[in-house]
Amino acid sequence: MNKIKKRAYAGTLESSDAFIEIEPIEEDEIRIELQSSVEEMYGDDIRDLIAKVIKEMDISYISVRVQDKGALDYVIKARLQAAILRANDDKKIKWDKL
Amino acid sequence: MDSSVSFSDFDFTNARRVKRVEKFLNTIGLDFPSSIENFVIAKDGNELIACGGLDGKVFKGIAVAPRRRGEGLILSIMTRLINIAYSKGIKDLFIFSTPNNIELFEGCGFKLIENCDNEIMLMENNDNLANYKNILTKERRDGNVIGSIVMNANPFTLGHQYLVEQAAKKSDWLHLFVVKEDLSEFKFKDRFELIKKGVSHISNVTVHEGSDYIISNATFPTYFIKDKGRINELHAKLDLMVFRNHLAPALGITHRFVGTEPYCVVTNNYNKNMKKILEDPDGKSNPIEVVEIQRVEKEGRAISASRVRELLRVKKFDELEKIVPATTMKFLKNM
Repeated sequence: MNKIKKRAYAGTLESSDAFIEIEPIEEDEIRIELQSSVEEMYGDDIRDLIAKVIKEMDISYISVRVQDKGALDYVIKARLQAAILRANDDKKIKWDKL
Repeated sequence: MDSSVSFSDFDFTNARRVKRVEKFLNTIGLDFPSSIENFVIAKDGNELIACGGLDGKVFKGIAVAPRRRGEGLILSIMTRLINIAYSKGIKDLFIFSTPNNIELFEGCGFKLIENCDNEIMLMENNDNLANYKNILTKERRDGNVIGSIVMNANPFTLGHQYLVEQAAKKSDWLHLFVVKEDLSEFKFKDRFELIKKGVSHISNVTVHEGSDYIISNATFPTYFIKDKGRINELHAKLDLMVFRNHLAPALGITHRFVGTEPYCVVTNNYNKNMKKILEDPDGKSNPIEVVEIQRVEKEGRAISASRVRELLRVKKFDELEKIVPATTMKFLKNM
């Protein structure tokens, strides 16, 4: 599919969670903007993780904004997947692919 | 966070709960902001410990009881407010507050637009200002004198027309911004159209829709300002610093034109602040020269939009004809 249809978000700003907003963009680009309370230690890992999830879901035009409050990897992954599924109104979720 | 904390939201129709929020804000030294549509509160047992509200695209009245600060309650309140705003389709959000809260709201994904001398600040939740500046940059025109006018024109009079004509004469190009809010008697759409029609004979002017970055005093929140005598000054400061540091550089604006204000003390003070703030040689961006243009008079009194509204109420169309252009007259007759 490589594009998302609309703006969507998932998560919360609370401790140990992440608030993720995604938006479609015109350029063929994956734009990641991260603000994390653990930037010093894990900033790059989180960015890698986000890029990986986006790639796994076959998206190549997307802007992602993440407010991370020290969420664990699988929380970030789940929040991002949820946002992307919401952005595409996916009713038939292929759970084995996630 | 204590597990006995519970959150809930409600809207302005819930008078009993709204009253509780008002009392809570008053106990911690804040006024109750007018016109909030949606509220979020946190309670511990039956005690209100934090709250926040949404008015259009502005978050207002966000507060945590002093002894419950540092627990992250604000993050839960903000998450809920953002959810409410997004579910209403409002995606551009703003916070006006005192600058000691900048870091707090940065932790919620908000970005600073302007901090005026550590007295008042404005933040937004995305990159809208940068996008808006890009749009403005496309409207840039060459010239030595790039003039600007900001007007509400409620509605457009011969006085406004004269101001635009004089400013256009003194400028290589003139950018005219129309304040974008619908709290005036005339709706934005109508004010905008009447201005466009009323200046269509002037060749070197662009009429811009105002944006969230031209802050109307009708939408400027004041509940957190302790010294009520300074409300107008702080509003002027914030509005003018955003104009000078963000909008003006995008368009290369060098001058701002304004009509002299003989009647209204508030506007007169605003004009004085304008000179001080836009012409200050020590700002972050180039100073902008403020040029006052003598208001045009008709039968011994300056033409004003408030006079037009007065005459319209008593339907004195023959009097109106003398102080509004034909384009506005046509609109008023068909109202």
